Amino acid sequence: MRLELGEIHISDIKLGDCSKVDSGTLYVNVEELRALLLEDEDLASVEFDVVHPGESVRVIPVKDVIEPRVKVEGPGGVFPGVISKVGTVGSGKTHVLKGCAVVTTGKVVGFQEGIIDMTGPGADYTPFSKLHNLVMICEPKEGIKQHQHEHAIRMAGLKAATYLGELARTLTPDETKVYETSGVMSGKEKYPDLPRVGYVLMLQSQGLLHDTYVYGVDMKRSMPTILNPTETMDGAILSGNCVSACDKNTTYHHLNNPVIHDLLEQHGKTINFVGVIITNENVYLMDKERSSDWSTKLASFLELDGALVSQEGFGNPDTDLIMNCKKLEAAGIKTVIITDEYAGQDGASQSLADADPAANAVVTGGNANMVIHLPKMDKVIGHPEAANIIAGGFDGSLEADGSITAELQVITGATNEMGFNKLSAR
Amino acid sequence: MILVTNNEKVRQAYGGLCTLQFVEGGHTDVLCAVRDLIHQGHKLLTHPLAGSVKPNETPFRSVALTRETGGLDMDSLTLIESALAVCRQFKPRFQRGEDAPESMREDFAEIDYRLIHGALAPHLQKGE
Repeated sequence: MRLELGEIHISDIKLGDCSKVDSGTLYVNVEELRALLLEDEDLASVEFDVVHPGESVRVIPVKDVIEPRVKVEGPGGVFPGVISKVGTVGSGKTHVLKGCAVVTTGKVVGFQEGIIDMTGPGADYTPFSKLHNLVMICEPKEGIKQHQHEHAIRMAGLKAATYLGELARTLTPDETKVYETSGVMSGKEKYPDLPRVGYVLMLQSQGLLHDTYVYGVDMKRSMPTILNPTETMDGAILSGNCVSACDKNTTYHHLNNPVIHDLLEQHGKTINFVGVIITNENVYLMDKERSSDWSTKLASFLELDGALVSQEGFGNPDTDLIMNCKKLEAAGIKTVIITDEYAGQDGASQSLADADPAANAVVTGGNANMVIHLPKMDKVIGHPEAANIIAGGFDGSLEADGSITAELQVITGATNEMGFNKLSAR
Repeated sequence: MILVTNNEKVRQAYGGLCTLQFVEGGHTDVLCAVRDLIHQGHKLLTHPLAGSVKPNETPFRSVALTRETGGLDMDSLTLIESALAVCRQFKPRFQRGEDAPESMREDFAEIDYRLIHGALAPHLQKGE
């Protein structure tokens, strides 16, 4: 499969009365976009704001971050099975508005985390402080239940990203990147001496506010299966997970999965990247056993020599992570796991809720319990009272001057378990 | 199956569908009741740390076990002891549901209910 990603670099977003991209500036007709989003009968209002890197702004609580894309050549459309028809994606040509994102905010439940600071020490911990963000504050109609609210915000974010992505359809990309993958047989013929490596991508799937969708399918209802790596770049995987801020995989992460990008970069050079096995993180223990059996079975079926396993979340998914690791290693597949840690504020406690000697190669995204101080911002977008809720408890405290002392876990993407962050021991 | 919970919402939904043990207490009390049942030979059916709502945050917990008993299941024991270790590591923010502000209490109860419902509904339909 061959996918060309044409990147249009965005250096500014302006709200106005015409939607277009001109000289690197994304102009958004807010009234047109608002009318489109308010077609959802569960939404009462949508307000827009724009935040830029370096500004003294805090967005809280962040639900999802989505990169605008549009399919310009080849089968299918972006976000298949949800926005576009369900056709298989991952080949042809896709345009990307690079350097910007749609950020959705909305208080679905009373204990949501998810801070993006655009400046200061908090900004260093989230990749989204480096983007020009169109922030959408979505308020539900009276009487809407939490699951309907989550669905409405999720759909609003995807519709807005699709609307903006469409503006890139006829543009000439500033930069084009080509991703080419091999079939199982052709890869083996082409690279007979390279180790066969696969990626086991674990998707959060425990239930409300903890779900992930693949081609529109709720992943907790799916058996593990195989994706071509480039399918993720067209939005085959969408986030419906908005609780665990530091180690949730936003839709932006799925579109820009760094494990996939790095493995494709090495494909044909040091490794033969065979494919992506997606699996779930369910509550029922039999599901965990079945899914880890199946991810290992698929890895063996692909005759992998090595596997990377990335996790989403903490606690319960640690069990899936270790099950996957143990079973892959037992099948003779050398395995590296990517996770993060809840090692206590001093970093001295056990990092994962599960462990096994087979997990002998671990990449960490950092300690989510580390305490940080976030200074006051001039402006807060979304629901500042969410900071009050995380304030009184264990996670942090809101100071009288508007600053927050909190654990790193409150920051969106801070300890991402795909490695899409900057924390490093180097 | 046996469902151990301290969540009234779960009791109302599942009380008539399976054996339900209601715990008057907090999250840790539920896990201790589950541990006792494991020592009596019941096996875990659902993970005791459901949800990415951090274990020290949510005051509600619902866990399903087998109704049948057998020998001590070491996998279940390891899981519940690990879950209790996580609770010891992170001091609970709300000991009991009543300690949480009302708006959050309802949301915590709803999430706990939804997570256990998503896990159990397919199995209860099969009459397990």
